[in-house]
Amino acid sequence: MDNIVGKKSGLTWAVHISMALLVALWLFPTVGLFVSSFRTSDQIATSGWWSSLGTQERQNPAIRIEGDVVEVDGQFTISGNLFGRTGVTVGAWGTNSREPQAYGPGETVDLGEGQALTVRENGDYTLAAPSDFGDQRLPRVFTTAETPPEFTLNNYSAILFDQRNVDGMAKAFFNTLTVTIPATIIPILVAAFAAYALAWMDFPGRALLIAAIVGLLVVPLQLALIPLLKLHNDIGIGKSYLGVWLAHTGFGLPLAIYLLRNYMVGLPRDIIENAKVDGATDFQIFTKIVLPLSFPALASFAIFQFLWTWNDLLVALVFLLDSSGETTVMTKQIVELMGTRGGNWEILATAAFVSIAVPLAVFFAMQRYLVRGLLAGSVK
Amino acid sequence: MKCKLYASAAALALMASGAVAQDLSFPVGEGAFNWASFEEFKAANTGVAGEVLTIAGPWLGPDQELVESMLAYFEAATGVDVKYVGSDSFEQQVRIDAEAGSSANISVFPQPGLTADLAKLGFVAPLTDADADWLRNNYAAGQSWVDLASFAGPDGNPGLFGFFYKVDVKSLVWYNPENFEDAGYAVPQTMEELKTLTDQMVADGVTPWCIGLGSGGATGWPATDWVEDLMLRTQTPADYDAWVRNDLPFNDAKVVAAIDEFGWFIDGDRVSGGKGAVATTDFRDSPKGLFASPPQCMMHRQASFIPSFFPEGTEMGVDADFFYFPAYAEKDLGKPVLGAGTLFGITKDSPAARAFVDWLKTPIAHEVWMAKSGFLTPHKGVNTELYGDATLKKMGEILLGADTFRFDGSDLMPGGVGAGAFWTGMVDYAGGKSAQEVADAIQATWDGLK
Amino acid sequence: MHPALQGLITIVVGVGGCIAYYYFSNLFLDKVLFPAKGAMAGRNINRANMVRPWLFLMPALVALGLYLAYPVFATIHLSLTQRVAGGGFEFVGFENYVKMSGEPKFWEALTNNLFWLIVVPAASTAFGLLAAQLSDRIKWGNVAKSLIFMPMAISFVGAAVIWKLVYDTRPAGQEQIGVMNAVWLSFDEGSIWSFLFLKLVPILLVAGFAVAIALMTWALAKPVVQRNGPVSGWRTAAAVLVGAGAVWLIYKSIFGILGIATASLPYGEPQTWLTMPFWNNFFLMAVLVWIQTGFAMVILSAALRGVPEDTIEAAIVDGANPFQIFFQIKVPQIMGTIVVVWTTITIVVLKVFDIVYAMTNGQWETQVLANYMYDKLFRANDWGVGSAAAMVIMLLVTPILVWNVYNARKEMR
Repeated sequence: MDNIVGKKSGLTWAVHISMALLVALWLFPTVGLFVSSFRTSDQIATSGWWSSLGTQERQNPAIRIEGDVVEVDGQFTISGNLFGRTGVTVGAWGTNSREPQAYGPGETVDLGEGQALTVRENGDYTLAAPSDFGDQRLPRVFTTAETPPEFTLNNYSAILFDQRNVDGMAKAFFNTLTVTIPATIIPILVAAFAAYALAWMDFPGRALLIAAIVGLLVVPLQLALIPLLKLHNDIGIGKSYLGVWLAHTGFGLPLAIYLLRNYMVGLPRDIIENAKVDGATDFQIFTKIVLPLSFPALASFAIFQFLWTWNDLLVALVFLLDSSGETTVMTKQIVELMGTRGGNWEILATAAFVSIAVPLAVFFAMQRYLVRGLLAGSVK
Repeated sequence: MKCKLYASAAALALMASGAVAQDLSFPVGEGAFNWASFEEFKAANTGVAGEVLTIAGPWLGPDQELVESMLAYFEAATGVDVKYVGSDSFEQQVRIDAEAGSSANISVFPQPGLTADLAKLGFVAPLTDADADWLRNNYAAGQSWVDLASFAGPDGNPGLFGFFYKVDVKSLVWYNPENFEDAGYAVPQTMEELKTLTDQMVADGVTPWCIGLGSGGATGWPATDWVEDLMLRTQTPADYDAWVRNDLPFNDAKVVAAIDEFGWFIDGDRVSGGKGAVATTDFRDSPKGLFASPPQCMMHRQASFIPSFFPEGTEMGVDADFFYFPAYAEKDLGKPVLGAGTLFGITKDSPAARAFVDWLKTPIAHEVWMAKSGFLTPHKGVNTELYGDATLKKMGEILLGADTFRFDGSDLMPGGVGAGAFWTGMVDYAGGKSAQEVADAIQATWDGLK
Repeated sequence: MHPALQGLITIVVGVGGCIAYYYFSNLFLDKVLFPAKGAMAGRNINRANMVRPWLFLMPALVALGLYLAYPVFATIHLSLTQRVAGGGFEFVGFENYVKMSGEPKFWEALTNNLFWLIVVPAASTAFGLLAAQLSDRIKWGNVAKSLIFMPMAISFVGAAVIWKLVYDTRPAGQEQIGVMNAVWLSFDEGSIWSFLFLKLVPILLVAGFAVAIALMTWALAKPVVQRNGPVSGWRTAAAVLVGAGAVWLIYKSIFGILGIATASLPYGEPQTWLTMPFWNNFFLMAVLVWIQTGFAMVILSAALRGVPEDTIEAAIVDGANPFQIFFQIKVPQIMGTIVVVWTTITIVVLKVFDIVYAMTNGQWETQVLANYMYDKLFRANDWGVGSAAAMVIMLLVTPILVWNVYNARKEMR
């Protein structure tokens, strides 16, 4: 008996450990992005995100001395701190790019023309000279320093609270919801009816229709764009919410029907046949029995469709965003923030987390229903 | 249902507009601007008030704010309601909209090749002969600007399909002046000196160049600029033009030599990270090497836009500066300058769109952007004292001091080559293929497009 | 009016319109068109039942026809035409296909796509199944599931950024900002960890893959081989085809193992992962696997929970160990769902475009068909060849199509 228990707990440990490993593997890239979203673009480009978590000794780019000149007894001085914060420990410094580690902390160095520069361990500096600096270019200081972790919320405030795009962001948020909610519900509704018909109703050509729908799954979206936009323009929908809903519905339907039909076919046959014997119509069977039983499948598809429409830029660009600029969506807004030549990692990282928030909330909320639906229903 | 939708959409539009209008950044009538041209234009274009003019372009972020600040003056002068929308995938967007018939009134093309494509399909309305004459007379090297924007229309007859506005200079080498001072290097005046300097740096144990070709879907384009610049420095302008038209085959010895000239710069220890890192380093990251400690490189050849990718707080003229990418003294090809520009084309004709083209002719339309940043113009009637900073002014001088000005060749080649095979070919070249192989492959693609 | 209210109204109108259609059309059918009362009640019920499927299907069929079928036919048409100067198209027969097959890039894309088709669905489904099974047995399973699901919620562009950061390369001597290179540089030649992670683990993985393929082929082939009596021709052909594919894969795996065992690795040098020919494809695939595992996991977890408890209890009573329960009781029962997940991911793979576009744009021999098509359509403006490439993508799905028709017909019998 002991043996079996021991084996079992050993297995449980193995399960815990392998799950933890799997999660860690999956999380690692995202954590990298998450940490990066709190760093400045220069930090991202010069050091690994993992190194920002601990104290690091690093050669920093040159920092130019600046500050107000103070005159004491004919001696002009500028003093301040190189880093503008505490906690940094200077190990070595220099003023020449060829010898960036020439001096130790606390050393006073003669820069010529009577100028003397002192850099202390905590980054405090004093530049002293017998005459005023005038318009003269002030020296730059290269440091090799131990830097404790430093994070910034600037990226988030730039995306969420910058006065210049706060209105645009709010508008984009509501617009995106206006696009995504119907673009999620309509295809599910339409697909559920169709899936029921394909799963439980008898009519000629059923198999052919199923095959055709599977075939349509692979139609590349890019191909459909121009003919459809042309069509929308011809029948007067143009670029509008209606157009983008219809497009999302069309593009999402094959997968929705395919997944839902496969789920519905697996529902117990006797429940449905009993209901038929009791005189229930197909409409009643669908709304009263099949729909509640299919809730888990509906919920999972809803999550996916929501995610796709939420993260979509291409369809929105083609079918919604006209040149009036009134109908902007989140993804578009974020792309705009990145500027013409893009590639600002800090903005991208932050934007990814801003836009992930809503889908994740939806997933957590729906997950409860998913489980409840599964436990309640007598699923195959 | 549809009816209601329309009503609500209309309400939505009404509610949201009004917030768009931007304040004029320079008060009318003040400063050294050519306000007379503003008033004159205002008086001549009273009939289009109330019209809506849609403009689609590639500018986003800070660039979008700049173009909108210029558009605000057009709105103020005419009463036209201008809507500008930028897109980061403008090249695809403009095609989709054109094919489907939902183009904006004015499209701002970053590449003449794209305009030529669309013009051939009849999606761009030709400009008038008067417009062409105006360009000839009022732009420096006017005829060349007309030629660059003239393409075959749908009927095969050539016409002027775009109006150049906003020019970039590409033949620039960026460096950190203090790093040069620390090492005692001088700015080279000729290509010979530049090459000597490069070897000098290698001998001193310093890496001379930072070169990055990475650019996501467009990886490779920075190298095309290198090759074009070197083409202009090794061959005659006539050869360059022939090459761009493919009258001189891509795999001609002259072109292969230019590619190998580029190869010289990425060979051995001359480039940061070695040849292998060139293709994968992002072009946005590569200039950061100038400012690292210790410096990863001393020089970076890139167009005038690159300072936006310098580290935060970099002060132009103090922390970073540029010099003209020099020409060979011995080849006697003068001082060639490579550049690029954006082309305004009418993709949906309307009186307001025509008025806008006229607006681009006024000096004031150039001056209000010049006085801000990132704008160069070949317009001869503007007050060059208005350039926003010394950097722009210096670039303007390079532009004016050019013996030869040539447009970015890859932008003029057909899309499949200039925005395809040429890019990938240069990536292959940096990856170790020979210049001849690469040139043969590009020529084969070009043949396939004919 | 507040934008939120505005949005709410549009939503209510849009969704309400849909619900109203189903409700009232059904009501109309039952009460007005074929009322189930009076003399004709019986016939009317029958007629109503004949019409009803189409009532249920109609919106779906209209949307599908308009948004997907119509473009397909337009594409077939386009793939046989060529743009003529000045607008319009002319019929050129199969010229576009001939032109396409002459391009090495096309063949590169096709081969790469085949690799994608094998690796990504297999890996995603396997990891998804693993995650689903493991998470069902532990308390923090829901948290774990959410974390694995998270990549699904990140847009493709975001995912590309994340992985670019992972694969980033800095020149030797500089601090690496990419995890892959940082990890890579921490390996030394000859150390035990290097041997463990860079030789043993990959060899085991490849060997596992080969064994899995062998087992799967055997499971598929067993009924065909052992069947007595007449065997239909196409069935044998299919079996031979699958068998040949499996043998080829196993052969490749063995060579892969030999390759890994003998390779001398460039320790200490930062690697540019995305430019290594052949291997870079796998680095791109990792991104899609990372994303799609969440999808597989959610669906498979739902299916696993649906496996009747009594079958599992019976197996436990019979003394089956957890592995036997999993592979012999649970997996066969959810085979249908596994096939669905596999199919769905296969289709995602065929359409994969954003990842390749954003990370390499098909350079360094990473081209795939969807990106090739996009390139032709929107860069080269060559609609003929672009459409021809799309037709090839659709052709690749035909096996799945046939399989589904076959299944649908089997169900109906």
